[in-house]
Amino acid sequence: MTRAARPYYVPVAIEEQIFKAAFRQGMSVLLKGPTGCGKTRLVEAMAHDLDRPLITVACHDDLTTADLVGRFLLHGGETRWVDGPLTRAVREGAICYLDEVVEARQDTTVVIHPLADHRRQLPVDRLGVVLDAAPGFCLVVSYNPGYQSVLKDLKDSTRQRMVAVELSFPPPDVEEKIVSHEAGVDHDTAALLVRLGQAIRRLEAAGLREVASTRVLIAAGRLVAEGLPPRAAARAAVAGPLSDDALVTAGLFEMIYAYLPVDG
Amino acid sequence: MNKYLVNITVGGVVDESAVDGRVARLRLLASAIAGRTLEVVAAAAGERTWTDGTTVFVEARARPAEQARMVAVQASLLGAGSLEPTIVRQLGRRPTLARRYLAVEGHRALAANDVLPPALRSLVDRRVAGGVGGAEESLTIARGRRAIDDPPASFGAIRPRRLLVSVERTEAAARGPDQAGGAPPDEAAGPLDEDDADGADGRRAGHLPSSPVGGRGALGRLLERMLGATREPGDGGPASAGALTHVGRARAGDRTTGTPTYVAAGTVDEATAFEPRGRTYPEWDVHRKRYRPDWCTVLERAPRPQDLAPMVMPDGQALRRPLARLGTGLDRTHRRLQGDDIDVDAAVEAHVELLAGSPPDEAVYVETLRRRPDLAVLILLDISGSAGEPGPARRSVHEHQRSAAAALATALHDLGDRVAVHAFNSHGRRAVHVRPVKGFDDRLDSRVVLRLGGLVPAAYTRLGAAIRHGAWVLADRGGTSRRLLLVLSDGLAYDHGYGGRYGEADARRALAEARRRRIGCLCLSVGAATAPAALQRVFGTAAHATVPTPEQLPDLIGPLFRAALRSAEAERHVFRREERTRERLQRQMRMTT
Repeated sequence: MTRAARPYYVPVAIEEQIFKAAFRQGMSVLLKGPTGCGKTRLVEAMAHDLDRPLITVACHDDLTTADLVGRFLLHGGETRWVDGPLTRAVREGAICYLDEVVEARQDTTVVIHPLADHRRQLPVDRLGVVLDAAPGFCLVVSYNPGYQSVLKDLKDSTRQRMVAVELSFPPPDVEEKIVSHEAGVDHDTAALLVRLGQAIRRLEAAGLREVASTRVLIAAGRLVAEGLPPRAAARAAVAGPLSDDALVTAGLFEMIYAYLPVDG
Repeated sequence: MNKYLVNITVGGVVDESAVDGRVARLRLLASAIAGRTLEVVAAAAGERTWTDGTTVFVEARARPAEQARMVAVQASLLGAGSLEPTIVRQLGRRPTLARRYLAVEGHRALAANDVLPPALRSLVDRRVAGGVGGAEESLTIARGRRAIDDPPASFGAIRPRRLLVSVERTEAAARGPDQAGGAPPDEAAGPLDEDDADGADGRRAGHLPSSPVGGRGALGRLLERMLGATREPGDGGPASAGALTHVGRARAGDRTTGTPTYVAAGTVDEATAFEPRGRTYPEWDVHRKRYRPDWCTVLERAPRPQDLAPMVMPDGQALRRPLARLGTGLDRTHRRLQGDDIDVDAAVEAHVELLAGSPPDEAVYVETLRRRPDLAVLILLDISGSAGEPGPARRSVHEHQRSAAAALATALHDLGDRVAVHAFNSHGRRAVHVRPVKGFDDRLDSRVVLRLGGLVPAAYTRLGAAIRHGAWVLADRGGTSRRLLLVLSDGLAYDHGYGGRYGEADARRALAEARRRRIGCLCLSVGAATAPAALQRVFGTAAHATVPTPEQLPDLIGPLFRAALRSAEAERHVFRREERTRERLQRQMRMTT
């Protein structure tokens, strides 16, 4: 069986080496970075390089411990235990990726404590067992420090059990390469989009909650690849998603007019 | 086009043409290119594009694409450090030098900009830009004898004097007494203002109303400071204090190029700008122990276009946690007797119990419950002249209070509570001014930020009337059963015929009245040097606290909010008991008759 192609990820610094070193040492990884900077893509690429299955859990505020660890379900008049994604990863030695872990309730994230430190164990209360993590198990959580969400911050006791890998938006030349590859547009268009993105990232008090990520630039590029004029593509994929504020959106439109040509 | 885009100042006159809306939209472009927050407005008729360091005044007649290019050039100049005071001071009163400098430095600044829009690269003359290493070098070249072409029209102009006034203002705010270096702002601005065509004299003379107290007593001095009168050279106070006083003056003039209006003293202008309808409120006369009915008139006024200025909003993130603990929000609760989803774990247990022969627990549902207390908060921000006093961390009390108001409003808004922000000051009992910054139904958007940023402390504090009006606004527009009035003030209640014990007693009374109406009251002093005993006299039994800077608020805000809401809750119980007693008495009366 041939393996799928490696997910496209261009390293910016030594984040790949840190990740792999932490993996080999059985340590947990905390990925920090703004939305759309490539956190998920890095994990996918690493899972591919390290040849481990990847189990992703998108965390939300109603995520209970049972949702992660597992629960009893009814099956033909009898109860049967069904593993949750975390338990499955522990048993199989997979990479378990908890995306946006701060979204989960704090009492839920405590369950990962014994897994994240040197013990590498998962106590399953309802079964009355303690599972030792299989070799190859790696816990990865992602976290967006600037994310404006109610009451969300990662507990210190959780943070300090991890190796932090900080990601930010790639430098212009790398980002051009990424946008060009991911969106399937020529290098010149990618360069224009990236320059627009760089300019938007320089705004500090513009009323934007998040700046233009690599992801929105790729989205704009994909629309261009579909034949849309660059300005229309950027309005739909960059300005629209970034703000609902009429004044800010109008300002973003002006930036798009200044940075992008009328047609490709 | 948006309604609120049209009111942009053009040379002191409100121009509602479409040009301005369009020009204001270039704000983000300018800020991105300069790498700092800039405002963009239309320049006065006939003026070329120029900047004062915080605002780009763009030639009104130019085509939109040309305007964007002009804004980009000015923003690049700012971003590249071409308009640093050390350089600009040398350009002083030498228009030819300024023009030659712009012709060289403009190209260098554009070439040095990392995020220059690609379309603007054609503007750059590489031969000029390539030979220059920095702004100083450009200046040397401009000083030399070499023939230099006039800068292209897109480059606009450099106006050194106007730049310096503004740059020094920004510097003064950031600079501490220890590193004040260079000439003190007043001295530096003095000779430059001499030939300033914009009537610096009008600003300098000031239309100060005669002080109602006068004299050189402590109160007289305080009043003078409130009104922004020039400091005596030997008046003490750090350099930044003097600079801040200067700021107040410079600010009034630099936006309105036509007629300089004195913010603190513009009583006549402001009175006419007010809408005629106001609400009257009684005032408590502590000496006679009775109310003076309809004593004060509160006038609500929407901010004028020239009252808008950008500011950096604190994100209020640190405040969110303590404030969120006041309520748990919409929560999914497990093991309920009813609900919109099955609680799988409970259902399995119930089934197991059933199979085991014991009666099952029927609470097997997940229910979404609203547990958040419905809360409306009105933040009353004191913008009287005393708030212009320097506070800790080299910022004025006003800046601290404004920053706290912004952080609190953001946090409460993000938590889903209803929040409004009103600023207040007064010119005597007939003119208590309340300026709505954010209404309960307004979104927390850039309009609110601009309004908040444009607040300039001036005039006096008739605290009681402002509190009574705030309580009325909360009762009228709050729309929730739990209401909180948050007063951000230095606690100096002073106005014409409203001082000392009288003012303190009235403010205290007004807070008690609000609580009687089941409105929680919380008074915060941020960065003010008011003695705790004085605050106690003004705020009475209402929850109050003093913090040196807004950063300390998160530690205190939770308990304070809880205390304020609890006191309102207690009043509510008292009220209900009174209601019940009244009903019982009425029943008894009916029975006896």
